[in-house]
Amino acid sequence: MRRRGGIIGKTLAAAGKLSALGAIGLLAAAPIHAAGFGIFEQGTKAMGMAGAFTAQADDPSLLFHNAGGLAFIEERQVSVGTTWFRSTKAELEGANPFPGEGYTAEQKDLSQLLPHIGWLQPVNDTFKLGIGVNAPFGLTTEWEDPDAFAGRFLSTKAALRAVDINPTLGWKVSPTFGIGIGAVARVSDVELRRNVGTLNPFTQRVADVGRLVLESDFSTGYGFNAGLLHKINPSFSWGLSYRSKVKVEYEGEAEVTQISTGNPQLDAAVRAQIPFGKKLPVETEIEFPDMASLGLAFSLTPTLLLETDFNWTGWSSFDSVGIDFVGGAGNSLPDSNIPQQWEDANNYRAGLRWSVSPANQWRFGYVFDESPQPEETVSPLLPDANRNGITVGFGHDGPGLGYDVAVMYLDFEERTRAKSLEDGETFFGTYNTKAVLLGVTLNW
Amino acid sequence: MLRLKTLAGALAFALILPVTASAVDTGSADFTRYVAIGDSLTAGFMSGGLYQSAQRNSYPILIFRQATAQTAGFEQPIVSDPGIPAGSELRSLSPLIIGPRPGSGVPLNLTLNRSYNNLAVPGADVHDAVATVTDNGGLHDLILRGRGTQLQQAVGQRPTFTTIWIGNNDVLGAALSGRVIEGVTITPVAQFEADLKTLVAAIGATGSKIAMGNVPDVAGIPFVITIPRVVVNPATSQPVLINGQPVPIIGPNGPLGANDRVLLTASTELAKGNGIPVQLGGSGQPLADQYILDANEISTISARVAAYNGIIASVANTAGAALVDANGVFREVASTGINIGGITFTENFLTGGIFSYDGVHPTAFGYAYVANLFIEAINAKFGGEIPLVNLANFMFGTGQAASPSIASANAPELIDLDLGAEIPTLSPAMVKTLFWALDVKTQKPRKPGRRK
Repeated sequence: MRRRGGIIGKTLAAAGKLSALGAIGLLAAAPIHAAGFGIFEQGTKAMGMAGAFTAQADDPSLLFHNAGGLAFIEERQVSVGTTWFRSTKAELEGANPFPGEGYTAEQKDLSQLLPHIGWLQPVNDTFKLGIGVNAPFGLTTEWEDPDAFAGRFLSTKAALRAVDINPTLGWKVSPTFGIGIGAVARVSDVELRRNVGTLNPFTQRVADVGRLVLESDFSTGYGFNAGLLHKINPSFSWGLSYRSKVKVEYEGEAEVTQISTGNPQLDAAVRAQIPFGKKLPVETEIEFPDMASLGLAFSLTPTLLLETDFNWTGWSSFDSVGIDFVGGAGNSLPDSNIPQQWEDANNYRAGLRWSVSPANQWRFGYVFDESPQPEETVSPLLPDANRNGITVGFGHDGPGLGYDVAVMYLDFEERTRAKSLEDGETFFGTYNTKAVLLGVTLNW
Repeated sequence: MLRLKTLAGALAFALILPVTASAVDTGSADFTRYVAIGDSLTAGFMSGGLYQSAQRNSYPILIFRQATAQTAGFEQPIVSDPGIPAGSELRSLSPLIIGPRPGSGVPLNLTLNRSYNNLAVPGADVHDAVATVTDNGGLHDLILRGRGTQLQQAVGQRPTFTTIWIGNNDVLGAALSGRVIEGVTITPVAQFEADLKTLVAAIGATGSKIAMGNVPDVAGIPFVITIPRVVVNPATSQPVLINGQPVPIIGPNGPLGANDRVLLTASTELAKGNGIPVQLGGSGQPLADQYILDANEISTISARVAAYNGIIASVANTAGAALVDANGVFREVASTGINIGGITFTENFLTGGIFSYDGVHPTAFGYAYVANLFIEAINAKFGGEIPLVNLANFMFGTGQAASPSIASANAPELIDLDLGAEIPTLSPAMVKTLFWALDVKTQKPRKPGRRK
């Protein structure tokens, strides 16, 4: 997870800045959503069925869910939409030995809009083109009252933003079999904040001596996606989809502002150690995981369709967060490396589509999303948990303009941490999170 | 671990409430009558003194509170602040000045008409625990009050649970005095084994459950590791180089070798220029043996600690006692530190958060951490779920509030401790260690050549 600069890195970083110009207007910090920091809600129709869409893939969100669906597009489709994420609860209850029984903390309420845009265009009956802009990864964990938060020396805010630009080609190999392949350019930035503490030798207690803010520039990483859709007969289809790993290498700056301990001697000693107020060059990288989905769709009756999906995400790529300070003597802090040690994880999705009329559909869904995060690395930086989500959606396909709406209630299982990695920090407690999502997509 | 030479005091008597039962799940351990046997570490000695604001967070009373959910009922030989002897304070970081707090403490619980639950006597070794009743007005008299040895008074309380952490003074004297003298500063293995067996067998015969701690390697404490063995430029805190080489401090046998250590008490001598070559502005006079722990002494101490710990493990096993591997935990502190909520506690003097101003005894946080080691070992051995101590109470805030000192016209006469002497200059790596919060592994300062 570390990188050591070099020509390639710099070239990529420059490309990232250019790409970012186009995408910056679309970026929004996303919440923790879809276990880990993946976000599965890239289209409201699919969201209504809890993302069980790999074997349907018949609207522009196919660019995310299954590029194989592109092969079957018969006319131009354009969609623009947003998903509104709203946390209703994000709390920590402490446990002994630290931060202790009775300690509680809350995250700031999350209220974010995340965009999705898709454009599909048949070239001829065999080949189809599409381009999508979506945000399949993102994270914001920000704690209330950061200077009093017991986890402030670990993290007071972590934000990761990522937007994919995803041109895709579909090929209808046969009337029932289509494949699609696309390129992914992922534009991303990160922000990390925390306090710096030391032991105050006068009081033998912990003292806050600084606030650290680390912000990266936008950088771009590249990958691909591919999928197939096989419509075996009118009542059964299946699909398989894959999105590759994408490594994004970031450059940025960290700055520490001093907090006085109230003791001038100690403040001076600390000042001699930390280059306060300077922009310290940093480098880091994140290897976003690859993911694969298998979906099976069954027509139960002429108006009822059931899809079940299995998704695997290669979260073991998220092994650690390493931050290298590259400014040299007097212009850097010691490198840091925060172990994550995530494991590959699965999620399971089921969606029911009820066509009440040719133009109107009700959709229902359920998802169980398995957390990739081991107990030992659950922390204020990113407290993850298994999730259960239920969804209801409605879609209207009007002449000219159609729309989809959906709502999702997402319940995070209570996540308790009571152990640490060897040499890892002690920060024990139970995290409780609930969220509501609303999706709206307009289709032409 | 430090003996007080004289103490005059009178004993009186008062009633005390019995310990009551609680709802904490202690497994098969029973804390109805809990007794602690030990030395200064068990007494809650801190910064060169025995005083109330440190004693009230001794690890035995923390264990008692956690195991019983009671705040009263565990009696200790409380001494008012600033203590007997007076505990030290940090007065200035630059220049570094550490000295005893003014005044002296008085015993506040002398009149208790039963034995204390915490019988630990600073300075006691294993033999003292089984054999010493009086030390002519020293801390043994303050704590034991003529009622018998630690062991006798423990047995007399018909304990249901006993912690025994002793053996540190069987080697510490060698480290603190810079001299390894068999039978004087260091206890022969056979004698250690015999006394420990006597002690544990007698406690076991009462039916009490037992938890024991083993002996940390005293060669790793700040008292031993803080002052560099080479001459340091006070202005830059960097070693002075001549022909590209650091210049060793001069010890009784000439320039110090790579594995020799300068003790914290040498700081006053170094300030006078002793141990520093004339051409670097020193007196050229060697530091006396008492200020140096040489490589041979260190290896003798380490081997002896290992031998004691083998005996402790065997005795604990035979007695069915829970065993705290204090030695292993101190090694962990020295190699990686202890990361609590992003703050790394280390063995560093002043800035490590674990050792107090005497460079030997823990801080309040250090004692709370020790209490949790005992609780974890007790839970594991006896199947309980005694809650751990909340360390946040020992990490944040302003530190120990000074207790109002209790004036007494008949305050006991005291002899000050060497450790209380002011330490005027310590230019070395200490201040360098002030900041390491970003990352445990890479940021933790290392001293070259130090043992793990």
